Amino acid sequence: MNLTHYGFKTAMSAFFEMETELASRLLPKHLHPLEVKHGSAIFAVTAFDFTDSMVGTYEEIVLAVIVPPLVQPGAAFPKSAFYPFLVGTSTEASRLHAIERWHLPHHMADVGVRFQEEEDRLQVAVHEGKSPILDLEIGAHMWHQADDLYQSFMIDGDRQFKVDIHMRGHFSEHEEETGSLILHPHAMTRELDPDAIETIPFRELWMKTGKQTFEELETLETV
Amino acid sequence: MTENRIVRLEPTAPRSASAPAPAARVHDGQLTEYDYSNFYWGTGEDPFVILQPFREWYDQAHQWGYYQFGQPLQTAPRTTVDIVEAKGRERLDGLINFASYNYLGLSYRPEVIAAAQEALAVYGLGASGSPILSGTFDLHEQLSEELADFKGTERALLFPTGFAANLGAIAGLMRPGDYVIADQYAHASIVDGIVLSKATPRFFRHNDMNDLEKKLRRCDGKKLVVVEGVYSMDGDIADLPAIVELCQRYEARLLVDEAHSAFLFGEKGRGVVEHFGLEGQVDIQMGTFSKSLGGIGGYIAASRSLISYLRGFARSYVFSCAMPPAIAAGLRESLRLCRQEPELRARLWENVELLQGLLRGAGIDVGNSQSQVIPIFVRDDQRIFRLGEELLHAGVFLQPIRYPAVSKHQSRFRISVSAAHSKEELERGAEIISQVLGRHSS
Repeated sequence: MNLTHYGFKTAMSAFFEMETELASRLLPKHLHPLEVKHGSAIFAVTAFDFTDSMVGTYEEIVLAVIVPPLVQPGAAFPKSAFYPFLVGTSTEASRLHAIERWHLPHHMADVGVRFQEEEDRLQVAVHEGKSPILDLEIGAHMWHQADDLYQSFMIDGDRQFKVDIHMRGHFSEHEEETGSLILHPHAMTRELDPDAIETIPFRELWMKTGKQTFEELETLETV
Repeated sequence: MTENRIVRLEPTAPRSASAPAPAARVHDGQLTEYDYSNFYWGTGEDPFVILQPFREWYDQAHQWGYYQFGQPLQTAPRTTVDIVEAKGRERLDGLINFASYNYLGLSYRPEVIAAAQEALAVYGLGASGSPILSGTFDLHEQLSEELADFKGTERALLFPTGFAANLGAIAGLMRPGDYVIADQYAHASIVDGIVLSKATPRFFRHNDMNDLEKKLRRCDGKKLVVVEGVYSMDGDIADLPAIVELCQRYEARLLVDEAHSAFLFGEKGRGVVEHFGLEGQVDIQMGTFSKSLGGIGGYIAASRSLISYLRGFARSYVFSCAMPPAIAAGLRESLRLCRQEPELRARLWENVELLQGLLRGAGIDVGNSQSQVIPIFVRDDQRIFRLGEELLHAGVFLQPIRYPAVSKHQSRFRISVSAAHSKEELERGAEIISQVLGRHSS
């Protein structure tokens, strides 16, 4: 099995409640949003500071909707699953690589992702040139070594895909609701109605000095 | 119709040696992070494919904490109960019972038991028929008439459960293209009723009138707003005056689920609608017989014309066996006691005030509870089972509430206060809860 590794200095995610109506519009027909309560799905914002990959160093921002994982008997149980509906990266090479290999939908211009760490707080500012895209902040909790399995679903035209992703590293996860999100008007946030998305994350994930490993891309056969 | 459907995963070959090895599919660290949402769907064409992975997880999760759900009581749901704890099969006697929603202590009142026993001897065990065929007995008619009289509505329709009442009323009335606008904390029976009706669901933020108005403004067509009188997991009360006003302004009909408020709120105990002085302004009042009246069943209290319509269109009514006659007899007696003993409600509210005061005074997070339903927020899915186990062995029977009953990050215990609780039981219970939570405070 061919594995693809991406080493990172920092990875962070924040989960926000989002109106299910909006989440459903962002998802392809074969996927359903996971609801935290009636009418509230989950919007996930993830940022990476990649330091080691086959396309060099780059930063990435991933906008996704959380969906139920697809369970396969005999295989490891995924911790959670997501559908990335838009990805932004800081280099063209990383963008082309992710489109070609993983069928991930991208904003087709370089975006900058600035990480600022202070004690137990992490701020991320995403921008395109001088135009801000979003500002995100999370906090740390108890740190431990983690090795978690996630699933990502993708589509390309009529084709549907899934890939298992392992995340290993020094990890903090909590639901203390200490973070925040500001979405700025930009092409990357055009589909996101700010009224339909909470600005305080109910779950905050932070991983340091870790490795993201993609297994082989799997095709979900359609009828 | 062609439909996209996942039938197979490719590749399905076993992982190679170079792949990250899943030594254990669920290890201890992960176990606590999983819940039912991790086992929603599986690969392949067989719908049973999910069962084996689920079982593999659940067998471990049960021992770890899920055993705390559905532990069999060995006694009546009195203020103290005996249980056989499901993990180590240890018998635990005399636990202070904060888990049963026997709010007025009527389920075991001698008069209620005697009425049910008498009917049991006359009518036998079951109704042996749908209410529209042979399942309606004189006892059912008497109960529905007495209930309508109590509620001050023209008619009342009896259902075998409260779940069936919401399901039948919403799905029986609403149609594709209509809108059902429900509070985000609405019970599963309301949600399933909406799904079954094929009407368009809209959920407004819990008790947020601005959001309700926003949703109403965007819905162009027939509209039904559905709220609960008292929210079953939070114990707070719907802002009914504002909701009624909005429904009138936007020409929406209103259903109030009084499962946890009927027979308790209001001077006569009719519910939150009476409490706010809104009788005659709420189109549909739903309620259950399983809480305050201590039996089983549900009802819709409304106009004669609506009840007549639901008799034909509420499928959970038409196609279910009627409530057992002995239950109807016991419920008639419960209702009589409820009407004749207002001191039961007075005692309940004294108990609620005492316990809420004790818990709040101890710094325990009980949210915005305004009722006999008192949540104890833990907001940590991993910690709540440990706390539950300790509470059980310290002498308190209290159920952990986790996803999907509440939001993923809103795990809690739910206290149900009863008029039958003694002051000593409430004080002792609060002390134990305070001690156990104190040991685990971060």
